[in-house]
Amino acid sequence: MPKFYPLKVLDVKKETKNATSIAFDVPYALYDTFHYKPGQYLTLKFNLDGEDVRRSYSLCSSPVLEEPLRIGVKRVKDGLVSNHINDNLKVGDTVEVMPPDGRFFADVKKDSYKTYYLFSAGSGITPILSILRTVLFTEARSYVRMIYGNRSQDSIMFNSELNALQEQYSDRFILEHILSRPKSNWSDLWKTSKAQSYRKGRVDTDAVKWFINEYPPYAQNAAYYICGPGTMIANTKNALNAIDVPNERIFIERFGGSPSKTIIDGVDHAKLIAHLNNERIEVSMPKGKTVLRTLIDAGKEPPYSCEGGVCSTCICKLTSGKIHMKNNLALSDKAVEQGYILSCQSIPLTESIEIEYE
Amino acid sequence: MSNQKNMMHTLPVEAYTSQEWFDLEQEHIFSKTWQFAGLVEDVENAGDYISVQAGLNNIFIVKGRDQRLRAFHNMCRHRGTQLLRAVGKGQKAITCPYHDWTYDLEGKLISIPKKEEEFPDLCDKTLHDCGLNLHEASVDIFKGMLFVHPEKDAPNIMEFFGAVEPFLGPHVPEELIEYKAKQGAPFYTKEINANWKIIVENYIDQYHLAHLHEGTLNMYDHAKAEFGWAGPHYHFYEPLVPAYLADIKNASPYPLIDKMPEDKMGAYVPWLFPNIGITESESAWNTFHAIPLAPDRTLVVIRSKTMNVSEWEYTKQYTKSMSSKVWKTLGNRGKYNGDKNDPMASGDFMAEDVYACEQQQKSLRSPLFSVGAEAQNGEFAVRKFQSVVKEWLEKHNEDA
Repeated sequence: MPKFYPLKVLDVKKETKNATSIAFDVPYALYDTFHYKPGQYLTLKFNLDGEDVRRSYSLCSSPVLEEPLRIGVKRVKDGLVSNHINDNLKVGDTVEVMPPDGRFFADVKKDSYKTYYLFSAGSGITPILSILRTVLFTEARSYVRMIYGNRSQDSIMFNSELNALQEQYSDRFILEHILSRPKSNWSDLWKTSKAQSYRKGRVDTDAVKWFINEYPPYAQNAAYYICGPGTMIANTKNALNAIDVPNERIFIERFGGSPSKTIIDGVDHAKLIAHLNNERIEVSMPKGKTVLRTLIDAGKEPPYSCEGGVCSTCICKLTSGKIHMKNNLALSDKAVEQGYILSCQSIPLTESIEIEYE
Repeated sequence: MSNQKNMMHTLPVEAYTSQEWFDLEQEHIFSKTWQFAGLVEDVENAGDYISVQAGLNNIFIVKGRDQRLRAFHNMCRHRGTQLLRAVGKGQKAITCPYHDWTYDLEGKLISIPKKEEEFPDLCDKTLHDCGLNLHEASVDIFKGMLFVHPEKDAPNIMEFFGAVEPFLGPHVPEELIEYKAKQGAPFYTKEINANWKIIVENYIDQYHLAHLHEGTLNMYDHAKAEFGWAGPHYHFYEPLVPAYLADIKNASPYPLIDKMPEDKMGAYVPWLFPNIGITESESAWNTFHAIPLAPDRTLVVIRSKTMNVSEWEYTKQYTKSMSSKVWKTLGNRGKYNGDKNDPMASGDFMAEDVYACEQQQKSLRSPLFSVGAEAQNGEFAVRKFQSVVKEWLEKHNEDA
């Protein structure tokens, strides 16, 4: 099971009113352990109100530039951890951090000749920024075309950094901002710098189609990376599929998850039989508790990481009974068909369920 | 007679005359390299396609609705009939004329007439899982040009061209417009009675410029030519002669290429292995495609692009050019005096080159033929090119 390492906070930077980026000091001995690919995330552990809580945040730093590991954290309404980080974390604090992980990453190689389409919205920029900077820096011949959706000019994270990249790599990096509620530009009349151009609206089917037609790929090996909230991802992916972009060229990272619309109540006090670390465990499941939380409360040590249905560290196999996964962003339909479940998202639908960790 | 007698520089003379060599080259050079297929604008909109013969393979390029190009072998998986002819527009699906088997733009088989009655074995599967989708090939863009490769997972095109890229001109061909003699016809097309390598060797021979073309290419300063080899490709640059440079804004036959820096006016004339040259000059950007037809016959197609400015700008420039004194002494005087239909008196450097190539090819049949000596600088590229051809054939012959 992956373990946590205490890392010191090296820098805390306010990116927007509601977002902060945190840089960590990785000691030399842990360089290999904390090596990462652009697009991957870190899992942080905090003890808040007496309970261990974990959250995963994408790295916005680039592994090929000599810079500390940095994550971007945007406040989630009523979010326990994101608000704690934005309100309380300061330079010198120590945070428990799990090594980088995640299957959303770009395989960046010096000799590649590709066109990267990057679609991001809101805090979905974090892994995209890492990919963007790594590609521009490493692949001297590749092209990047990027859409970044936000509410208004004020909520654009990493704005000055993005502007600088646009200037530095103007021959092969195109960035279009999309704003759903842009601030009126009267105040810009007094500004000397030219007003940032944008398209009004959202990252939706029309915007994606317009963007691709406006900026066709030059290098024909094209890859499409999407990161943002659920609806933005669904819209972007549908738009790409509608113009025949093959799925094997599309890479997706979901942010914040999309809570299932129908709320399903699990069975009260179902019996859980779990096979974990050569041990047979039998416990009763309190109402609303997931398989994972039930086992942790029973003093066991099942594998897990993000607890958001994203990373699949907590995967196990259901051998009898039925469950409901509140959120599954990690397992393919085929894996689900074969009985694999995410224990952090599973509540029982039958009086008794049995699972096996491999 | 010694063996040397029948040698060119590195290759034997028969490499320029025999069907056997021609076939080997078709198989191991032209079917295993990125092959020029046209210009980016040839496949402009979704559903547009072109097909091209690349060595032994006929390959078509089609643009998807996602604006990305796809390449497939132009051959129905049923009985091999060629699916698409030359060029076309707005295709939504590809139907074989023979039995109407139909593929989508991803190359997936989507329809077979009388499938249930005639192909019962295929019925328990969806059509695109039958293993009868079109064979995929590769397509990519380099410097505004389309290239195809017969393999689905072809080596990265920039691994092939990357080394020569820094030696190319500052021209951006996508921003230029094509000059067409007639609607749809390229700038220049000619079947030349010479082996394709003779034509390449003429193109990369720096030594001949001041001699064969003494009256036709003398607006360029051959003594200051910089040339060499990068990867399997040849690169070449030479500046304008001072007299032409001094009056370039008037004398240039077409509006000047805006990307050319004033302190480096000249001509970039690289040759990309195996068979596509580019001529990037102060006022034009040309592709020079040498397509082998037979051991002693080669089709040369030149496409020419110039600045994307109004007709009026061209007229103004033409008028200025015609009245420039520069052309009284440079650029259009034949080597011999006489009938303008005589290539050597034509004042046309292409006619001079064609003439020299065809005359050399004729001599290859002579029992007394041999290359007597080679200019160590001006003709070094000729020997180098032959050794690249030889290496390529040997490498792939071994692999095969």
